[in-house]
Amino acid sequence: MQYLIHMSRKLLWLGALMLLLLAFTAPQLMAQSVRPPGNAVNLDDGTEPGPSNALGDVSDTEIWDQFRGGDPANLLGPALDGQAMTTTGQQWRMVRENLIRKYLGWLPLIVIGLLAVFYLIRGPMRISAGRSGKTIPRFSHNARLAHWFMAAVFIILGLTGLIILLGRPVIAPYLGLQANSILTSAAMQGHNLFGPLFIVALVWLFIKFVRGNFFQLVDLKWIFKLGGFFGSHVSSRQFNFGEKSWFWMVILGGIVISATGILLLFPWLVDDIRWLQLSTILHALAAVVLIAVAFGHVYVGTIGMEGSIDSMLKGEVDENWAKEHHDLWYEEVTGKSAKEETS
Amino acid sequence: MSFLEFVEGPLFAVAAGIFLFGAFWRIVGIIRIGRKKDIAPPKASAAAGFVKGNLRHFLPRGIFAKRTAVHIIAGYGFHLGLFVLVFFGAFHVEFLNERILGFAWPTLPRWGFILASEIAFAGLIVLWVRRISDPVMRLISTPDDHIGSWLTFIMMLSGCFALQESHEMLRAMHMLIVDIWLIYFPFSRLMHAFTFVLSRGNSGATYGRKGMNL
Repeated sequence: MQYLIHMSRKLLWLGALMLLLLAFTAPQLMAQSVRPPGNAVNLDDGTEPGPSNALGDVSDTEIWDQFRGGDPANLLGPALDGQAMTTTGQQWRMVRENLIRKYLGWLPLIVIGLLAVFYLIRGPMRISAGRSGKTIPRFSHNARLAHWFMAAVFIILGLTGLIILLGRPVIAPYLGLQANSILTSAAMQGHNLFGPLFIVALVWLFIKFVRGNFFQLVDLKWIFKLGGFFGSHVSSRQFNFGEKSWFWMVILGGIVISATGILLLFPWLVDDIRWLQLSTILHALAAVVLIAVAFGHVYVGTIGMEGSIDSMLKGEVDENWAKEHHDLWYEEVTGKSAKEETS
Repeated sequence: MSFLEFVEGPLFAVAAGIFLFGAFWRIVGIIRIGRKKDIAPPKASAAAGFVKGNLRHFLPRGIFAKRTAVHIIAGYGFHLGLFVLVFFGAFHVEFLNERILGFAWPTLPRWGFILASEIAFAGLIVLWVRRISDPVMRLISTPDDHIGSWLTFIMMLSGCFALQESHEMLRAMHMLIVDIWLIYFPFSRLMHAFTFVLSRGNSGATYGRKGMNL
């Protein structure tokens, strides 16, 4: 029974999200033009306001139903073909408050928890043959600059964005409303200022890394062997399936974040507030997903896999690391077989 | 006295004093070291070499231009961006006018200030990530280099955080970091803001006197 209640709640929120999305596809004919009813009273005409219970003690939900989505002819005359009252604002608020703010913030924490558990069980992936002492170049200096520039901007935007999104439910209860207000004001300014730099970083990253990141048949083996994280060796070229997926997630998610961010930064670019409502939701959704997956990226690039960080700090990797994790790329770069005994 | 009044008043006065006196002391000290007497007859003007050495370093050498393009662009972006936002930001000009100088000059519109900040931030980030991602740069970098970069970054970031002017605390934090930056400046490599003229000039004068084509 509880499961049914739980599912119906989920469906309710899903429905609300769908309604918001549908609102964008509705034709402009849906625009409202509200005319007051003939017996409307203008309270600004000098007359005394009525008694406080002038509307009666009973709420007539039918009236509000008609306003919200019912037959407008009953209230506003036959000329109208849309709703008398727009409710997308309320739907947006419900999605933001009850879905995005309530659940989405947990995603990065869940990923961190899973990584911690994985680390405790599996430990770091060592270079099985040990370091050879010989290195081969993996990333140019400009590629590394593009990577670290994106990383720096991403961290600043991620932190400030999370404060803006989750400050009220997470920070305010512990540090107080005043502290939350200060933090949010600061975060908003920082977020707005660094936002455009994210677009620069995204373009730079794309130019420097797109080559080698297109999916290939060899990636299927990586998928079937679960990336070699559970023991078995898996072949890959310069980038494996996981790296390629991460790259395209960043690019596509980054495009969504950039486009919606531009709308939020320059709201006068659109004349329909529903674009802005949708933008806040998509912006937060894409950003939090990227933040969560970024923890996985950081894990594999640092404590999760021995020798990985060298590629981004020094631009070079140990030959044995290359043979083990990117054997096809190693063969391509060196002209030697990766199956030869590791040095 | 509020915290803001303290960091904008007495602490700022002390910090500015240390900055000015310390920077002056170091420059005088460098000049007083002098140069070893060169007994060879000069082949060309050392003074002209001093000027030429300074100007020549503003442009990259042809063979290095492509290889160093990113950090040259980042370097110019950061330094020019910082200069513009410090001396033409409306908040800064207003502060200097009211507290120190007593006169003002035209300031950037808000969009110009934001743009200059973004260029400066981008440049500073690229310069620092170059420091950690280039093995040679990493090797020759000292803690002073990192502290100087980070202090400058935090100072700019705190200023950016205070842009909305919604909370006195944010402005006070920015001013506190400005004060720390001013105190740190003369004792660090941030002094290159002044000493670059002397170092470039010294090389230029030495080579110029020998008649080398800079």
